[in-house]
Amino acid sequence: MNRFIECVDVGKIYPGKTGPVEALRGIDFTCNAGDFVCLLGRSGCGKSTLLQMIAGLETPTTGQIAVAGRELDGPSPDAAIVFQDHGLFPWMTVTRNVEFNMKARGVSAAERAKRARGFIAMTSLMGFEDRYPHELSGGMRQRVGIARALTTDPKALLMDEPFGALDAQTRGNLQDELLQIWQTQQTTVLFVTHSIDEALLLADRILVFTPRPGRIAADIAVDLPRPRAPQSKEFSELARELRGLVGAERDFD
Amino acid sequence: MIKIRGALGLVPLALLLIAWELAVQFKVYPPVLLPSPAKVALVFIDDWPTVLDNALASITRVVVGISLAFLFAVPLGLMIGRYQILDTMTDWSIQIFRSIPPISLIPLALLFLGIGDKPAIALIFLAGTWPLLINTIFGVRTIERTLIKVARAARASEFLVMKDIILPAALPAIFTGLRLAVGGGWLTVVTAEMIAVKSGLGYMILNAQLTFRSDLIIAGIVVIGAIGLLADQLVRLVRSHVCRWQEGLTAVPE
Repeated sequence: MNRFIECVDVGKIYPGKTGPVEALRGIDFTCNAGDFVCLLGRSGCGKSTLLQMIAGLETPTTGQIAVAGRELDGPSPDAAIVFQDHGLFPWMTVTRNVEFNMKARGVSAAERAKRARGFIAMTSLMGFEDRYPHELSGGMRQRVGIARALTTDPKALLMDEPFGALDAQTRGNLQDELLQIWQTQQTTVLFVTHSIDEALLLADRILVFTPRPGRIAADIAVDLPRPRAPQSKEFSELARELRGLVGAERDFD
Repeated sequence: MIKIRGALGLVPLALLLIAWELAVQFKVYPPVLLPSPAKVALVFIDDWPTVLDNALASITRVVVGISLAFLFAVPLGLMIGRYQILDTMTDWSIQIFRSIPPISLIPLALLFLGIGDKPAIALIFLAGTWPLLINTIFGVRTIERTLIKVARAARASEFLVMKDIILPAALPAIFTGLRLAVGGGWLTVVTAEMIAVKSGLGYMILNAQLTFRSDLIIAGIVVIGAIGLLADQLVRLVRSHVCRWQEGLTAVPE
């Protein structure tokens, strides 16, 4: 098990209108290749900021981040990101959206088409290849976002509340599909969520964040066998423990 | 539905035609000043070659001038919209120069370029450049930030970002700019031809005034309006084809 993602004393301070805002402080963690790790916390706790920094889209104010043994200097070729608002190009069809990351890497058109077909099949998007994003449901849009992220065989899949805007039913389906993809692709997943249940359903390990400035309050291993049953005793015990750690003012979700 | 809409669009024009015919019947003005609609219609048979030649001359100037403006303003606008430093550098200049009516530059254009196509095309170019430039810059600004992040995370080259993301995202606004540019260019060509050129619809109607041919003047005005409508419809048609992906995304008036 090699250390795949490493954060050393990472902090982030934004210049705000009323003075600097400290979003994150002293984040230290390492994540092994193949792990499914959830970053859990209330909104505004800096967990998305951390993900964006690991994706190379933001630079930390202090500390270092390394992905696949290389200190980050912009987006890593080994990682791919999935956004909550899916980030699909509205002027591209499903196929062209799925092909974009490969096109950015200079993959030939024939190879792109072939690989895109494979991932479109994997994410159950057959028959929708020539549709535009606004013609798809929210769940299907997010499938396109996931398919696009997978096309470059990323060693790390960075997911920023990808299912946050979906209804419960669709979210459940996509969670199952994501677990299957994770198992077949053997990729590392870093998954930001504010839902305790979602974190418990998916993760091997949960990092719990405290709000303002965001810090890691707890690092919890989830050893429950999959598929996990939210009704089980172990699950609800862990959920109760997490609720205490997150410091919910009110029960969220 | 389309047929009904087409018929509705003709209502104001029909009313105008009736008012015109009535004004002629009741001799509000002497016939030499205000010819009847029928007399003006005859111009399109008797003087068809004159009308056609001059219309083609005007259209050619606008097509050349607006094409040059498009090739200049769209790439420039994409760059200004993308790079803050260029925006800071050019903002004041754009606001200053776009406030100058192209017509006010006719004297200078004549001094530097003489009589002929050149000053007319130069003025149409200017009339088209500013709406195209400003709308292109605006179009680039409307891009969702997430989309730029997706491109950065994919390590897309700056060229690919421009071609596959910035340009398509700005296209609807660019077409808005093009509609304004074509309209502005058409206004400019008619005026410029009254002063700086010896052909075109502007020249034709000014010349018709000197020979007291008010039927030819009105026929010229009808042609100017008709071409303006056709040009706008053409740009809209191209836009709805190029921006097919927008269908169902934009609001429809009630």
